[in-house]
Amino acid sequence: MAERARYVYAVSAGLPPDALRGVAGIAGAPVELIGHRDLQALVSDVDLGEYGEAGLRRNLEDLGWLEETARAHDDVVRAATAAAPTAPLRLATIFLDDEGVRRCVEDLYGDLRAALQRVDGRREWSVKVVAKPRAQARASAAAPTGGADYLRRKKAESQARQSADAEALAAAERVSDAVTDGAVAVRRLPAQDPRLSGLEGEMLLNLAALVEQDAGDDLAARVHEIADAEAGVDVVVAGPWPPYSFATLETP
Amino acid sequence: MTLTSAEGQAQTRIALVDLVDRLLGSGVVLAGDLVISLAGVDLVQIRLHALIASVRAEMAEGRPR
Repeated sequence: MAERARYVYAVSAGLPPDALRGVAGIAGAPVELIGHRDLQALVSDVDLGEYGEAGLRRNLEDLGWLEETARAHDDVVRAATAAAPTAPLRLATIFLDDEGVRRCVEDLYGDLRAALQRVDGRREWSVKVVAKPRAQARASAAAPTGGADYLRRKKAESQARQSADAEALAAAERVSDAVTDGAVAVRRLPAQDPRLSGLEGEMLLNLAALVEQDAGDDLAARVHEIADAEAGVDVVVAGPWPPYSFATLETP
Repeated sequence: MTLTSAEGQAQTRIALVDLVDRLLGSGVVLAGDLVISLAGVDLVQIRLHALIASVRAEMAEGRPR
């Protein structure tokens, strides 16, 4: 029989024992709670061959595996978040046994409590601002009539480009201000590669906002309102999500 | 402007790139028994390598965009 290890999804406070009934973990394994003081670690069994150090190195390069694991992790975290304050853990946090999990929760108890308090009753929203790809070479319709004409056109194109850039940045700034106004906390995440995000154009802003549960729709509406008035950017709002970006411990 | 919004759906599914960004880049970091050598920068690089490699593979197959 394959060696087993404990995969920890999240730590919750006051999670009812039946909150995760019917929620499958990785590879369909049942999710169990390991209680320590007033906290619960959400765990399931995984194969140590797959989730041990060598296995993880190999498997994290496999997009299909990564997606399956990430989706299962997200399913568990979502179910828990709906039922109790929950601090999601990073992907693939593995312990050899329940004792290791308890020891870690004990060691980080104060930080976990602080993280749980920070995310209690709040959700994460994502707001991205992407500069629209510029219309290319509109000026090339007619061939330039000479050197001076060519330079004039080049200059005009360059000025138009600069003003479009400035407008897009100002739009991003307005969106950022609105998000900051409506959120408890905001984190600026690295811009995503267009090949990964599927969004064409340069990502000017990739914000994660921690928002009171009942304020999310208002925030989204306000951002929509601003986006409606901006021609040069695309704005993508998504949420509510579990507070992934805001459960970080102060002292990891 | 173009605006895309996921609101209105009861359970909004996170795009994989956003989920992986978050699951590898943030969240509580417990020093598990096994992942220490995978933590931090190494892990992020692994992730980007995996994702970009897979996107390139799709493009190479000539999949229509």
